[in-house]
Amino acid sequence: MSVPDYMQCAEDHQTVLVVVQPVGIVPEDQFFRIYKRIASVAQVSIRDSQRNLYIRYRHHYLPENNDWGDFQTHRKVVGLICVTTCGSGKEWPQTSERFHGQKEVFGATLYDSRLLVFGLQGEIAEQQRTDVAFYPSYDDCPDVEKKVEDFVESIFIVLESKRLDRATDKSGDKIPLLCVPFEKKDFVGLDTDSRHYKKRCQGRMRKHVGDLCLQAGMLQDALVHYHMAVELLRSVNDFLWLGAALEGLCSASVIFHYPGGTAGKAAGRNPSAAQGQAADAGKRHRPGAQEVLIDPGALTTNGISADTSSEIGRAKNCLSPEDIIEKYKEAISYYGKYKNAGVIELEACVKAVRVLAIQKRAMEASEFLQNAVYINLGQLSEEEKIQRYSILSELYYLIGFHRKSAFFKRVAAMQCVAPTIPEPGWRACYKLLLETLPGYSLSLDPKDFSKGAHRGWAAVQMRLLHELVYASRRMGNPGLSVRHLSFLLQTMLDFLSDQEKKEVTQSLENYTSKCPGGMEVITLPDGLRLHPVPFTKLPIVRSVKLLDLPVSLRPHKQKGLMENSMSTKSPFIYSPIIMHNRGEERNKKIDFQWVQGDVCEVQLMVYNPMPFELRVENMGLLTSGVEFESLPAALSLPAESGLYPVTLVGVPRTAGNITVNGYHTSVFGVTSDCLLDSLTSVRTSGCLVEVIPSLPRLQLSTSLPRSAHPLQPSKEELSSSVSVQLFNGETQQLTITLENIGSEDLETLEITSKISNTKERLFGEFLSWRPGGGCLTPASEARPVWSPSLSTSSQTGLLWRREPAPGPDDDGISVTGLPISSPLRQVLKPRAETRPPGSESSKTDYNHVKMLEAVMTFKYSGGAGKVEGYYRDLTLGLHVDVEPSVFFTRVSTLPATSTRQCHLLLDVFNSTEHELTVSAQNNQDLVLHASECQRMAIQVDKFDFDTLPQPDQETVRYTSLKLLEEERLHAQASMINSTLGITWDIPSVRRKGEASVEGVLNQLVLDHLQLAPLQWDVMVNGKPCDCDIIADCKVGDAVPLEVKLTNRSKNTVGPFALTVVPFQDYQNGVQNYDLQDAVTFIGSNTFYIDTVNPSEESLCLGALLFLYSGDFYLNIKFQDDSVGKEPGAGQGKELPLSWFGLPSIHIRAQEAPMEAGA
Amino acid sequence: MAVCIAVIAKENYPLYIRSVPTQNELKFHYTVHTSLDVVEEKISAVGKAMADQRELYLGLLYPTEDYKVYGYVTNSKMFRKLHNSFTDVMCNPFYNPGDTIQSKAFDGMVSVMMVQAS
Repeated sequence: MSVPDYMQCAEDHQTVLVVVQPVGIVPEDQFFRIYKRIASVAQVSIRDSQRNLYIRYRHHYLPENNDWGDFQTHRKVVGLICVTTCGSGKEWPQTSERFHGQKEVFGATLYDSRLLVFGLQGEIAEQQRTDVAFYPSYDDCPDVEKKVEDFVESIFIVLESKRLDRATDKSGDKIPLLCVPFEKKDFVGLDTDSRHYKKRCQGRMRKHVGDLCLQAGMLQDALVHYHMAVELLRSVNDFLWLGAALEGLCSASVIFHYPGGTAGKAAGRNPSAAQGQAADAGKRHRPGAQEVLIDPGALTTNGISADTSSEIGRAKNCLSPEDIIEKYKEAISYYGKYKNAGVIELEACVKAVRVLAIQKRAMEASEFLQNAVYINLGQLSEEEKIQRYSILSELYYLIGFHRKSAFFKRVAAMQCVAPTIPEPGWRACYKLLLETLPGYSLSLDPKDFSKGAHRGWAAVQMRLLHELVYASRRMGNPGLSVRHLSFLLQTMLDFLSDQEKKEVTQSLENYTSKCPGGMEVITLPDGLRLHPVPFTKLPIVRSVKLLDLPVSLRPHKQKGLMENSMSTKSPFIYSPIIMHNRGEERNKKIDFQWVQGDVCEVQLMVYNPMPFELRVENMGLLTSGVEFESLPAALSLPAESGLYPVTLVGVPRTAGNITVNGYHTSVFGVTSDCLLDSLTSVRTSGCLVEVIPSLPRLQLSTSLPRSAHPLQPSKEELSSSVSVQLFNGETQQLTITLENIGSEDLETLEITSKISNTKERLFGEFLSWRPGGGCLTPASEARPVWSPSLSTSSQTGLLWRREPAPGPDDDGISVTGLPISSPLRQVLKPRAETRPPGSESSKTDYNHVKMLEAVMTFKYSGGAGKVEGYYRDLTLGLHVDVEPSVFFTRVSTLPATSTRQCHLLLDVFNSTEHELTVSAQNNQDLVLHASECQRMAIQVDKFDFDTLPQPDQETVRYTSLKLLEEERLHAQASMINSTLGITWDIPSVRRKGEASVEGVLNQLVLDHLQLAPLQWDVMVNGKPCDCDIIADCKVGDAVPLEVKLTNRSKNTVGPFALTVVPFQDYQNGVQNYDLQDAVTFIGSNTFYIDTVNPSEESLCLGALLFLYSGDFYLNIKFQDDSVGKEPGAGQGKELPLSWFGLPSIHIRAQEAPMEAGA
Repeated sequence: MAVCIAVIAKENYPLYIRSVPTQNELKFHYTVHTSLDVVEEKISAVGKAMADQRELYLGLLYPTEDYKVYGYVTNSKMFRKLHNSFTDVMCNPFYNPGDTIQSKAFDGMVSVMMVQAS
């Protein structure tokens, strides 16, 4: 006996063994169908004895094992059922022959046999035979079970008779010596008459009877017999049989204690070894079966006693659970003395372990198993080895030693593919390896590893995964290999050495070249589902941040529609609790919008944990909510890189709320979908963002180069900015071209500008607008400062360029404000005022470069986004560095000969490094070298500032007095400026500009420049007379003198008294006022002018008579009478002297020609 | 002397494992791993009865052909040394309970206890 039956358990001792075998040609599936039906009859209740007979069926049994039938009767084949197919009557004799042949094999031990014939009909089938049953086909055999039951009953009759036969002949008859096969030769020539021998015979027979009793369902009898056998055999040191008797005792006790059986569910795990047996394991024992017990006192009789006294005997004979184990140990130690009883010992160990498992005594069970491991059964075939390791694994599992179980299972798996096996069973190996996973606390679902750091027996687990990879590859399933290898890489990354990382990735790449890894769930034939392994660690993503659109493309909500979006759920204006609610962060809506059709960006901070360069291909975003076109990126991360920013882009194709769920990658040929929900280590500030309908997109380009440095006050983000360097007073043209590069039509465009740094006071306009293109209208700038070439047709043609919008027709554009298609031309006129502090010493200040900044905003909208109330801003920052050009360090006036004019004296300072030409209107050019200061005089007509528009009442009310004053000064200055028209020109650098006197003017100068409100006109001889005009008159003629006063002031003036004083100027500094002889007045030399109301005139008339020829001058002296006489009538204060600037009159008196007089 | 010393965490994963014949480390991993079954069994069995006065000596856990695996022993000097060293590791404020032991002092102690590989 060399092949152990690992599935044996203690209660098998009470079964009878029936072999079911096919005879002739029987289809395997049909045979097993019949076999199953036969095997379902595992327990038969004997009609009139209340006893049960248990049957163990085998379809394969070694006759060699049958030889041990005397030793333990459950090993003896007592029944044979043959199944055969018989097509016709002709075949019948042959079939019958075979059946008999089969009977011969087990002949010695068989109690009875049956033949089931399928397919035979007719005459032969009609005959009534007890040992043969005929069925027309495998499908038409309704009473197979019945037949088997009958057969079992017949076996029982034989068994019962044998039992009675053996049990009763305890008289002096010679008892035969039962022995096991290997003993037979030992007993040759032994003295059969010795007491020792007799006792041995008795003991063995007693044990045998015990077996029979147990089989026949008489548990109590069996116990008694076993006890007696133990006593007898112990006395003669017949250890092998003593062991068997002890084991019998244990078996009977186990059956008594554990009616549920000890095989447990584990029996079902080995389908090949115990088909049939497993299915019926549960049915085998009916509760209360052992109640049918016989009183030990009634042993010899065949009666059945229902006497309650039997209870006492039962308790006495039956072993306690602890004793069972003791006896098993003893029995096994006896078996161990015999080398040939290895199988018996092994099986006993297995049985004991099963019992211990039920008793939950794992430690002792493990000792039994440990012993079983060392039992040497000689040369085992590879298959037997696998079976042995598998069963050890199962038994360890049974007692809760999962690691040990896994260890043996793995050994079994390795045995399947041992190098000595010609055809390695990789499939079986793989299957067994999968079964070891729980023992190594390894789950193949990567989700179980996502929580925190991996903790486990990494070395062992890694080895197992490597073996799985290898086995699946050898199985010819590269998909599985890829999956396992991915899993290994993902979960064991922290435990792999750099070298291993390299090796694993290399082999992964090898596998994926044949079979790319994906995200689908692999389902194995046995139902195990292998979840996809996303490479969340290759690369490791630390943070995910959705990026706002660039400033120029950010959509804004129209103010009027703001209320809808502003509404907050909470009634509180501020709550700190909401701020700290981190849990909802991922689902929080980000407070910016993306625009349909525009490229949106998400920034990931990634990290490569590998010691080599990591190539990530096809990295893109996973989104939901909105149709999103992801534009995958490929990146290459250097070895063990630090945090590395990666920007993933995509275009939302529809509007709505979009959620970024994760990203997908392709690394080493494995594509992974990494969801952010399962990545706890990823920081994110929210993944939900609103996508608004599409808007047009404008691109701005300017004629000036872009500035590298942003504007100083960076409170606003600008889409672009330009910078330019200008001299003070210089004008620069800037052409801005707007192009619609989006897919939507532009419907509205609004332009505003703002000067951002207001610390410095500005004089004059900094920015002025002039829309360019076809409808070019002159801007507020009066003088055309632009070179004509800028507005030539070629330039205009360029500006007219218009991007074809790939949408519907452009005709439907409604224009507000400015025509869309016309590019705009902007005029820049910086006049940063560097107000001179008045002293020449602070000249260095003039070299200081001033900065001017302005922001222009283009607000535009169109398309579906406009309907929703969104618009976009395009901002252009202007940065101007203003360098000083020319300054007027001092201004003064000199009266001109005419009272209506004066001379303006300007000290001009050239603060540039170039030679500079200054020119004023109607004046000669003045050439100034660098840092040179020269005076220039300009004769100007006096100004009538009253013609300047007065600020309206509203403005006056709300503006401070000082501001009003400044405004007035500014208006006056610009008037002077425009009249003077002072320009400068630097020929060397071809720059020119204007110079302004504003800021250097003081009140005194202004007063001098102002036209007096009282206008005096003097007429001599009816001709107006002014400074340089010489009035001619004749000696002796009365010369009429007319003085006219026009009051242009707002108040009533006068009354005044004017005295005309004639004098002669000798041109040598001497003035002769003593002219009574030369000039005489006709009438008074004093005029009196009454009060003159505003805008009225008053005229005084007088006459002079020149007595001699000569040049005379008239000085009109003036007295203001109003103050003294009527204080209330005038202004209440003295009128300024300059108001009374009467011209001095030059009269040349000549002798009248005689002819004329005659 | 010992050929392999392992400190196992409560959740049955190794905090520290080191063996002298380095070429066949995996074998020791397997040996220690499987003997955990016994430790688990012993602890759970004793725990039911008398959780307080549990004897820390688990004795022989598992004999293999070549080696014998012993559980935690406090009444031998060897294990006391290990225990003290382990206590030191645990007292380190920078040690995060549950992490793999990387202490040099502990490593040194283990080296002393090991068989000198010839």
